[in-house]
Amino acid sequence: MQTLEVKPADGGPAKWAVSVTGLTREYVTRNFFGGASKKTWALSGVDFQVAPGELFGLIGPNGAGKTTTIKILTTLLTPTGGEAKVFGLDVKKDLYEIRRRIGIVFGGERGLYNRVSAVDNLRYFSDLYGVDPSVARKRIPELLEVVGLADRAGEKVEKYSRGMKQRLHIAKALVHDPELIFLDEPTIGLDPAGARDIRNMVTELKRQGKTILLTTHYMFEAEELCQRIAVISKGKIVALDTPSELKNLVRDVSVIELRTYGATNEYVEALKTLPEVGRVTADLDSEVQDIRIQTPLGADLLSKVVAALPPGAKMIDRTIKEPTLEDAYLRLVEE
Amino acid sequence: MVTMDEVTPGKMTEGYLAKRVQVLKASAFLTSKLFFADPQWLIPNIIAPFIFTLVAFFLFQGQTSGPDFLLYLVLGSGLMGMWGTTIYASANSIGFDRWNGTMESTLAAPMPLSWIALGRVLFNTLQGVLTAVFILVIGLAWFRTGFAIVNPPAFLLASVATFLSLSFFGLLMTTVLLLSRKGGFITNSMEIPVYIATGTMFPVILLPIVYLPFSFLLAPTWGIDAIRLAALPGYVGLPTTYWEDIAIMVVETVAYMALAFFLFRRVEAYAKRIGTLEEY
Repeated sequence: MQTLEVKPADGGPAKWAVSVTGLTREYVTRNFFGGASKKTWALSGVDFQVAPGELFGLIGPNGAGKTTTIKILTTLLTPTGGEAKVFGLDVKKDLYEIRRRIGIVFGGERGLYNRVSAVDNLRYFSDLYGVDPSVARKRIPELLEVVGLADRAGEKVEKYSRGMKQRLHIAKALVHDPELIFLDEPTIGLDPAGARDIRNMVTELKRQGKTILLTTHYMFEAEELCQRIAVISKGKIVALDTPSELKNLVRDVSVIELRTYGATNEYVEALKTLPEVGRVTADLDSEVQDIRIQTPLGADLLSKVVAALPPGAKMIDRTIKEPTLEDAYLRLVEE
Repeated sequence: MVTMDEVTPGKMTEGYLAKRVQVLKASAFLTSKLFFADPQWLIPNIIAPFIFTLVAFFLFQGQTSGPDFLLYLVLGSGLMGMWGTTIYASANSIGFDRWNGTMESTLAAPMPLSWIALGRVLFNTLQGVLTAVFILVIGLAWFRTGFAIVNPPAFLLASVATFLSLSFFGLLMTTVLLLSRKGGFITNSMEIPVYIATGTMFPVILLPIVYLPFSFLLAPTWGIDAIRLAALPGYVGLPTTYWEDIAIMVVETVAYMALAFFLFRRVEAYAKRIGTLEEY
């Protein structure tokens, strides 16, 4: 695993923005009488560090432990074991000091008061965070302008589109000028233009020197934005490196991308039985099907792939590509 | 177009008390905005109290002998409305955050949840006061009685003290909602017993003796007695004087306050351990 070296100017101990060591979290489901009926380990020994000013990604499948990690680091959940520190402060003991220095952007619809305006939301949260009211009066309209909501600042949030709500989430997270921002799947459910706006804002925050911890399901997003990425699976970090180094994990394979007409599930299953074929993924729901095949054979496999097409099916397009972060990710989480 | 670099840098409010007052104001203000944003506020605050008062009128019709008794009745109806609104709205203030998906955002703030909840409860109790005033107006108009109060300053003091007392009792109830989404059952089931126990409609002294300790532990019982002592000439209620009522209410309210803040800390920590805070 790749780590960054943080050397403080005073020569003292390294000062990470985030430091997680042996972090565990167990969820206990209780029965009617209050006894423990089922125990699940959401995190089973997670270790990673984030340097000040770094844009760090945490990726993994649903239920892998991303949100649990974020909740612990944002002091919303108590860890069962291990250590989690934010700016050297303990998440179990120094709740309020940590909360003053972090901002949180939740993905999706949650986290805003929809029946009041964007200004009301920001004013409320700036007061909860203890922002000086005279500063908040200037800062709130400025932030709304930065996120492109100034024209509709007085409208009820329930009238906003998903993308607008997400931009308001970012303004809300910035209202107290935090040093570290947690972005929990910030582009989930957004259209491409809305997602691009959010990514541009994240890049801008990074340029400003904010430390950012991002979770996402979109590999291209993680690859585009993050300096380092931790892949979490079944409550453990299975890889931590730069996007290019993670991609090197699958440098032994090429990816054949097919676009077909009339391909069936049987065809996909047949592809999986071909020699030297690794993972095969397919989207068969539309009229035109997209199929991805991982193989070390590259172009040599193409003739067999074409030959296996069922009668009546057509090959519209075929491309041989370098493996992406998604290929590396899929290999890591399926190992 | 403002860029991120041009945004005014953040600066925090200084001082322990100033920060808390800021949170109380913000929380109460947002609650008021959310309250008036939903036209359903008319039901618990105008329509339900109107029905309360009407029912009380029919219950006591024919037994009302003179303006003092009518004022007794109207004051009781008002306090019932005030308590009902306080407990209903306070219980729902945390439930609303759970349902609305804002629980995590609220909890993530660098301020104890108890202060945020207190701001909400204060507005909800104020809303209860408005309900009480509305009931008074309806009652006085319906019964065509005057509103001659024996001792207006004492009435005002007892009313404000009862207002604060109800607020902290509401805060105490709110802690139940932190633990579980099913906490609403408990707070809802408290409404009627408290009406009876605090003597809103008939003197507490008429209650079975086993009920009295519960009654005396409720600060509003003393508040209601003090309000009636200040308002009604020749009123005979509990075997205590006005100032004794006020003193007992203050002691019990301080106990509620201490217990509420203690429970908030414990319950918040417990809910974080079991991970149920944002579940609805």
